[in-house]
Amino acid sequence: MRAPFLSFAAAIAGAGLLPVCAANAQDTYNVGITAAMTGPASATQAPVIEMLRIYFDRLNAKGGINGHKINLMIEDDQAEPSKAAANATKLVRQENVVLLINSSFSSTYGPVIAEAKRGKVPLWFAGAVCPKETHPPKPDPLLFCSTGFDFSIDIPVATKVIKETSKEPVKLGLIGIPVPISRIGVDTAEKIAAGLGMETVDKEFIPPTTADYTPFANKIKSAGANWGYAYAPWPAESKTFEALRRLGWTGHYMAYGHIQAEDELARIADPGLHVFMANSMVLEGGAVFQEIRDAAAAGKYSFPATYGTEGWLTGLILEQILTKAGWPADAEKVTAAMEKLNLDTKGIRGGPLVWTKENHLRTKQYYRFYHYDSDKKSVVRERDWLQVDVTD
Amino acid sequence: MSLQLVANVIVLASIYALVSTGYVLIYRVSRVLNLAHGELMMIGAYLLVSTASLFNNDPVVALALAAIFGLVMGIVVYAVLMRWLTGEAVLAAVLITIALGILLRGLSILIWTSQQFYPAATFGWKNPSVHLLPGVQVSAASLAIVVLTIVVYVGLFVFLQFTRWGIRMRAAGQNPLLAEQRGIRLHAVYAFAWGLSTFTASLAGMLLSLDSGVEYTMATIGLKAFPAALVGGLDSLLGAVIGALIVATAEILAIQYVNPLLSDVVPFVVLLIVLAIRPWGLFGSREQLDRV
Repeated sequence: MRAPFLSFAAAIAGAGLLPVCAANAQDTYNVGITAAMTGPASATQAPVIEMLRIYFDRLNAKGGINGHKINLMIEDDQAEPSKAAANATKLVRQENVVLLINSSFSSTYGPVIAEAKRGKVPLWFAGAVCPKETHPPKPDPLLFCSTGFDFSIDIPVATKVIKETSKEPVKLGLIGIPVPISRIGVDTAEKIAAGLGMETVDKEFIPPTTADYTPFANKIKSAGANWGYAYAPWPAESKTFEALRRLGWTGHYMAYGHIQAEDELARIADPGLHVFMANSMVLEGGAVFQEIRDAAAAGKYSFPATYGTEGWLTGLILEQILTKAGWPADAEKVTAAMEKLNLDTKGIRGGPLVWTKENHLRTKQYYRFYHYDSDKKSVVRERDWLQVDVTD
Repeated sequence: MSLQLVANVIVLASIYALVSTGYVLIYRVSRVLNLAHGELMMIGAYLLVSTASLFNNDPVVALALAAIFGLVMGIVVYAVLMRWLTGEAVLAAVLITIALGILLRGLSILIWTSQQFYPAATFGWKNPSVHLLPGVQVSAASLAIVVLTIVVYVGLFVFLQFTRWGIRMRAAGQNPLLAEQRGIRLHAVYAFAWGLSTFTASLAGMLLSLDSGVEYTMATIGLKAFPAALVGGLDSLLGAVIGALIVATAEILAIQYVNPLLSDVVPFVVLLIVLAIRPWGLFGSREQLDRV
């Protein structure tokens, strides 16, 4: 009889505590996050969410927003759709979050979008691929995206710059991984390149599980490519480039500069590897980057401070949204605030980040280009902000 | 086939063969299929990350320490986990190794995060290209993998054929009851087999990390080497080499002449074909496989 009695007593005590917990929860801005904190996508997503947590730990220590703390409810989905679905259900139905953030593989988007729509909660994609439903001119009213990269904008810019930079006819080797967004990106690059008069001599979709990138690099080299362009996660982009160089390939290579790019350009130290990115590198200096460095050190960030830029920007955005939503906030007020986002990115990006009712992606996109300079023995900016209007 | 393709096959086959040794050693001695082998290989690579950060000016010490830790890791896994399953159904032991793999993945994220690490950069090494023949180049780390694989296999052959512990190991694998009656301490033999297995896995992980870094997904390479071990026959070291060569050749040819997307599938297609024709593998023992 003793054990049932103890269980009963524990249940009563728990029930007594429930109203206290609920009251505490109601005193905070509850924001739900389903993210790939572990698993195959975690190298890119975990640094974003961890820096976001550090950002709000600091903000909460200063009193929060509108006098209320922010409660980030972070759930790991391991980039698995079933886990993301369970997370979204829990966050929307049980935790009554006012905003849902998804930072994971695009394969998790379907169930999370469905749950957000059922609960009429805004869903924001941060540090992960922007789904087409966020694109202007008619985005889904509940879906938003702030991620620096987006293939529909990135690829036309990258291919154009390759064309402008090259002094000889371009023979392009395209590199992706076998996931839908990368394949679409590579196929799009092939079409745009053809329109610009460049020949695509090889396309390689390299499984991330590959033990040796040399066979793929060998094909690109044998096909006679003098430029490589990768639209893939950073490990596939960099490992293919390094495998090409080890085969004696002397061409140039363009890649999107994911969060690892700054440290990686310095490690690889090859002037032929060019990256373009929506966020500035930390090497640019300035107050915001010093703040990121300080926060990373104080918050015991698990990654190099250079990985924290996208997460910090996500924090700036969320702070403005919740400030504008006021108190008490609900999903409707948060959605309204998101539709009026106009954020000074403080130099992290080339200009303000603006969301409107018709554009949940950004009204303008900016890119900086970087590579390693052998003479200066450091990573340098090759090209300053290149502005693109994002209309459709 | 061009000479560069041949070189690519040899490098990939060496990777698979080196990883396969661990599968074969444990299966041969204890009939347990270690499905945490890829994760143990990954931990071996991460151990090098840690020792490299401590001894970045002394790569030999860092490498030696990581290799020793790799050996100890296997002995500890046996002593803590597998020892208690001796005499129990083999399936229970196999399931334990699956749980161990999941545990190791979680631990690796907690300890080393999901960041990509490059121990070679910590040592200041550049992993240059090596010209083997005109038009044939491989990375220095890849060449080291090939050389080390040869050394490991020759060493294992000598060890199993001519040393006391090697003979004990073979005896324990062939007839554990009789071996024990003859005074062979089975737990010591099994523990040593696990140690050797994780030692070779760690060597593979360390060299792969010197070539192209280490991250959380490295464990899946262990899974890709698994078909090589099965194709050759799970209880045959020679079979592991032949199996690795067959799987690597099929994979490279698929990448080069058919479709690179098939590179993940081809090893398992080869496995299915071989198992359909000869379920115990090319060099495996039929009698022993029947027991599984």
